[in-house]
Amino acid sequence: MESALDSKQMLNRFLAEVERRAFQMAKFATRNRDEALDVVQETMLRFVRHYSVRPRQEWNVLFYRILRSRITDWYRRTFVRRKVLAWLGRPEEEDSEDPLQSLPDTANPNPSDQVLRHEERGALEKAIRALPLRQQQAFLLRAWEGMDLKQTAFAMKCSEGSVKTHYSRAVHSLRRLLEGHRS
Amino acid sequence: MNAKDPEKLFLEKVQRLLDQGAQNLGSQTEQRLEEVRLGALSGAHEKRSRFFLPRRWVLAGSFAMATLVAAVLFFFLSPSPDTLPTGDLDELEIITSRERLDIYQNLDFYRWLGSKENRMRPNGKGL
Repeated sequence: MESALDSKQMLNRFLAEVERRAFQMAKFATRNRDEALDVVQETMLRFVRHYSVRPRQEWNVLFYRILRSRITDWYRRTFVRRKVLAWLGRPEEEDSEDPLQSLPDTANPNPSDQVLRHEERGALEKAIRALPLRQQQAFLLRAWEGMDLKQTAFAMKCSEGSVKTHYSRAVHSLRRLLEGHRS
Repeated sequence: MNAKDPEKLFLEKVQRLLDQGAQNLGSQTEQRLEEVRLGALSGAHEKRSRFFLPRRWVLAGSFAMATLVAAVLFFFLSPSPDTLPTGDLDELEIITSRERLDIYQNLDFYRWLGSKENRMRPNGKGL
């Protein structure tokens, strides 16, 4: 009973640690807050049901593997939905930006610095969203999540060589896109 | 001290900006994420208990069905006390034929017995 509580607490702590990044990754891919929340929810449910019994050191890479898989599923579903809507002659649904994104960061007391950082962040996020999905995932897992080549390849279900290619292309594209914001 | 690799600097900056973005999701999104997390934790346990519940019912149902089938088979296929199995009928025939055989085998004895009785009774009537 005690160990069950401990494992639940451990699981809760782990999910709390990864949920923000997972949400951001899902939002970069879906470009929609609610869709991103759905993707995170599906990922968490699947992870807790099927993979929480695995050793703790495997959780991170397993979680992101599920997240990547859910995002890919979302892409497929959205593709079919858009095709059907286009066939029916209805307008495609607009990707709504998160209104909270435009709110200022109240943690920073310096308004000019705040605006600058906000602009930088906005430009970076826009550039990441513009990347092809595989490049986006490779970049976020390697550069943000700090995964090594092997872990990233496992999470993305592809070869290490493929990760290298996607990652280097992503870095190149981002540097080019963010040239004006670099300090 | 060597100057840092520009790519490394760029990546550090990207990481910092992304971290800031993740820390400023807004209270509404943060609250939703917490709900999602807690829902996943409790939902998974509910799912697990629900997962076992039908299995228990299936097991109990299967057992009941097997008992019912066994009872039906026993009722319809078990021999009725009014009817005899084929093997017993054969045996009966054998028994009957043996009796007849005994009569034929002891025919001489019965003839002798009859002639003796006739001799003992002058009027020709039996005992």
